[in-house]
Amino acid sequence: MIQLKKIDKYYDAKFQRTFILKGVNLEVKQGEFVTIMGPSGAGKSTLLNIIGLLDEPSAGEYYFWDEPAHKIKEKQKVQYHRSHIGFIFQAFHLIDELNVYENIETPLVYRSVKGKERKAMVADLLDRFNMVAKKDLFPSQLSGGQQQLVAIARAIIGSPKLLLADEPTGNLHSEQGEMIMKLLKKLNEEGMTIIQVTHNEDFAQYGTRVVKLIDGLIREDYQVENRK
Amino acid sequence: MILKVVIRNLLKHPFLNLVKVIGLSLALTGIVFIALFLKNELSYDSYHSKSDRIYRYTITDPDFLGGKHFARTINPGYIPELKEAIPELENFTRLMPVRGGLIKYEERFYNINEAFECDSTFFQVFDARLLIGDKQKVLGNPASMVVTESFAKRVFGETNPVGKVLTLPAGQFYGEQQDFTVQGMMKDFPSNSHFYPDFITTPGADQFANSWAWTYLLLAENANPENVKSGISVYLKNNRETNPEEMDTQVHLQKLNDIHLKSHKLREIEPAGSLTNIYVLTIAALILLLISISNYANLNMGMTGFSAKYMFVNKLLGSSKYSIASYFFIEGLFIVVTTSILSLMIAFPINSLIAKMYGLNLLNGNTFSVAVIVLLFNLSALILGMTPVVSFVSSLFRNRTKRNVSPKMAKGRVSSALIIFQYGFSIALIVSVIVISKQTRYALNSSIGVNEDNIVCFESVHSSIQQKFKVLKAELLKYNSIESVSAMMEPPGGEANDMFPFEMEGYKTDEQNQEYDRIGVFPCDYSFASIFNLQFLSGENFSKKNTDADGSGEYIINEAAMHRLGYSEPDKITGKEFRLIFSAPGSGIEIPGGKIIGVVKDFHLQSLKSAVEPLVFFKRENLWLLNFVISYKPEMQAQALNDMKTVWNSLFPEYPFQYEHVGAMYKKVYKAELLQARLLSVFTTIALFISSMGLFGMALISTQRRVKEIGVRKVNGARVSEIVTMLNRDYLMWVGVAFIIASPVAWYAMNRWLENFAYKTGLNWWIFLATGLLALGIALLTVSIQSWKAATRNPVEALRYE
Ligand SMILES: Nc1ncnc2c1ncn2[C@@H]1O[C@H](COP(=O)(O)OP(=O)(O)OP(=O)(O)O)[C@@H](O)[C@H]1O
Ligand SMILES: [Mg+2]
Repeated sequence: MIQLKKIDKYYDAKFQRTFILKGVNLEVKQGEFVTIMGPSGAGKSTLLNIIGLLDEPSAGEYYFWDEPAHKIKEKQKVQYHRSHIGFIFQAFHLIDELNVYENIETPLVYRSVKGKERKAMVADLLDRFNMVAKKDLFPSQLSGGQQQLVAIARAIIGSPKLLLADEPTGNLHSEQGEMIMKLLKKLNEEGMTIIQVTHNEDFAQYGTRVVKLIDGLIREDYQVENRK
Repeated sequence: MILKVVIRNLLKHPFLNLVKVIGLSLALTGIVFIALFLKNELSYDSYHSKSDRIYRYTITDPDFLGGKHFARTINPGYIPELKEAIPELENFTRLMPVRGGLIKYEERFYNINEAFECDSTFFQVFDARLLIGDKQKVLGNPASMVVTESFAKRVFGETNPVGKVLTLPAGQFYGEQQDFTVQGMMKDFPSNSHFYPDFITTPGADQFANSWAWTYLLLAENANPENVKSGISVYLKNNRETNPEEMDTQVHLQKLNDIHLKSHKLREIEPAGSLTNIYVLTIAALILLLISISNYANLNMGMTGFSAKYMFVNKLLGSSKYSIASYFFIEGLFIVVTTSILSLMIAFPINSLIAKMYGLNLLNGNTFSVAVIVLLFNLSALILGMTPVVSFVSSLFRNRTKRNVSPKMAKGRVSSALIIFQYGFSIALIVSVIVISKQTRYALNSSIGVNEDNIVCFESVHSSIQQKFKVLKAELLKYNSIESVSAMMEPPGGEANDMFPFEMEGYKTDEQNQEYDRIGVFPCDYSFASIFNLQFLSGENFSKKNTDADGSGEYIINEAAMHRLGYSEPDKITGKEFRLIFSAPGSGIEIPGGKIIGVVKDFHLQSLKSAVEPLVFFKRENLWLLNFVISYKPEMQAQALNDMKTVWNSLFPEYPFQYEHVGAMYKKVYKAELLQARLLSVFTTIALFISSMGLFGMALISTQRRVKEIGVRKVNGARVSEIVTMLNRDYLMWVGVAFIIASPVAWYAMNRWLENFAYKTGLNWWIFLATGLLALGIALLTVSIQSWKAATRNPVEALRYE
């Protein structure tokens, strides 16, 4: 489903070229739950952005749903963002001007889901995340953890086929984190392909596979043995 | 320390700060010029030290020329007697126009633009600085002349004018040749004077008795003008009325200072200024002030977000509310000082442009006024521009955490209100510009002879030239560049005020009142109707059969006259016997009886502000044909003008060759409106520009603030078009609201303005539609540049860690 072949990503400064990703080969099959790990600055977020069609590789070939990514037109990308990909960002990126309810609702609006249906879907998620009481608050009125929950809710509400989660549990205490991981695992079992970034070894165990990225190179790539 | 931060922050957002400065500068410059112009207009004639006691005296009489109100008084020979009869009347002076436009010195004719024969009391009533001569004595003798500096220079060069003898040639209005001796020289009259004669002179003999003169009365201190008025009425009743019981002469006194703007009588010295112009300009200045300052405040408010972090950290580090406020104050000071400097830089070239075009040096001698205006403007910009920022600072200190630092909600509403308000004004201004230009164009196009603009006019030619009209016409028509030559009593755009009694077959006049049952008359030459393309509704033009012999006179009337005479079908009135009755004792002039030979469609000789008056056109040998009009083949303009000059110089070598195109003459008639249209379009452009710059700035600020949101939405599948629509929607809605508010206001205002005209173009719906679309288009363009930039940005960049 997703295939990266010799992907490079670099930035050209005045006299030198800085590589962030170097010859990355990675294939992710439908139904996998991949965890990417690695030290800070290793290029994890960059890799995720490339996979999510937000950024383009500097060299190499990338096949998204077996289609060469560089040939995907802008219009088609928008379509993929609407129906295939869900994002959870490291820095949440909630819309300050919208309240919790509206933030979660956003992807549905772009998918032209009908109002009534939207209401039901958002209400369901709010319930699941124990956030019903907060639905009229604005992001600035939430704690970091609550904001992260909203961001997760927003990413999964449209049931994307591929969920890209950049440290989804970074701001959560371990109990909440586990709750989220369980949820992701459940979604994965229901058929959602998930690629997550985390620094937490325990949470990596919820997935099916671990990829270790160091200085832009894939150093390890193995299946999880005793999946939680 | 603060200064450093201020400068660094100003340079961090060069574009937005430039928008602030340019907006304020344009408005300030506009306001300075409007204010100086208004000062000039409103201070007309107040430079006379006794101006508050000087009144112009006029009379109206329903039995005399239809009760028309003339600025001059007829036969003012009795005025000195009024002074004896009324104690509250301290003094008077009469100004009689020197006609003919020419004066002779050492065998050469010189043009005079304006000159008066006046009473020796001139300098006791009016102020004027004498450069040579003594105010008490200089006009003491008959035929004593005082010339202005510039006229002296023109005629005598650098030599001392005193003792020089100028000659007014004989002929004009049957006057006789007259010599005047220059006794003094005075400064030219200032631009805010309603008269600026080349010279004034005492008459050779007392000619005031049988003439028309502008009459000014100087009242005693603390005199009540009402008493003077009733005193004059009593005097007139006892001394001048033929039957005192039926006295219906009305006496009018108008304050000298009111003449320029409020007097719209017939035969003014110069066309009155326009009070509407004053209102229009005042409103324009206010709008500029409001728009520019609200714009400034709006941008200030939008930009507080940029320095919020600095503010917050500063607060944490313990700085006081006042030091933060002083930061904003210094920033504001920077902006207004730059604004003032920029304004001055723009002002000088504009001033010389105005001076060149309108002969009005507004900056001259007004340094103090300019300083006051600039100071007031800066102060209000500083205070009003700071207010929203100050409220932000205090909110910063009210809330203890950073969480509520961005004053989002309230701010959004205020800036939308400001944008609605700015665009509302701009829309109203655009509508006004369109309507005023359209009406002016309509008025110009409806005037006779302007469409091809191949007609020139020799205005009020000297009587000795009038006598030779036939020769001139014959000579000119020999050239094939010349199409037609005609003559008329009043010039194009002039007032046809004269009315004669008449007799018509089948028309019943009260025998007793025949003297008062009059109709407008207009002597003209044969080809008058053809040169101006007048349309005959019935009958035809003058024929060769028209002679001065009784019974063979030919009359053409206009539609209005037809209705006045009680007919509604042109064919029915043509052929009727008709005669005008003219009696000037001793003139020996008689107008022959004859027939009405044609009816022409009403045409506009005069301004469209007044209704077309009934007029009877007739032709009599060499009589009252003061203005010559000549049409030439349009494609041969240069040749034709050359030919005219050749003929003129051979026939009238000592007279200056001076003509004007009819189109230009009508433009003078609508000078006030043309000026309004031009000024308004300048100010509308400025207002629209400032508003749009402001909108651009606001859009820039808001997209910058929404960068993250846009990124998030894109990641969630929003199309570029959806993002642009989202960003634009609010602005467009505001412009829409502005349109809905501004349209009825503009409609009302323009309806009032059009009431000035007896004939007007309509206020079509398309004007509003076009304006709305224009405003919307400009706003859309302005905002879309930002929106598009923001929407096409790579979301990864936007969503980099905060
Ligand atoms: N636009 C850019 N220009 C130059 N360098 C960049 C740019 N974007 C990212 N980088 C660099 O690329 C490297 C990888 O960044 P990336 O965000 O992918 O790291 P990461 O593995 O997600 O780290 P973390 O665990 O801290 O989130 C970093 O060193 C970063 O400085
Ligand atoms: Mg990262």
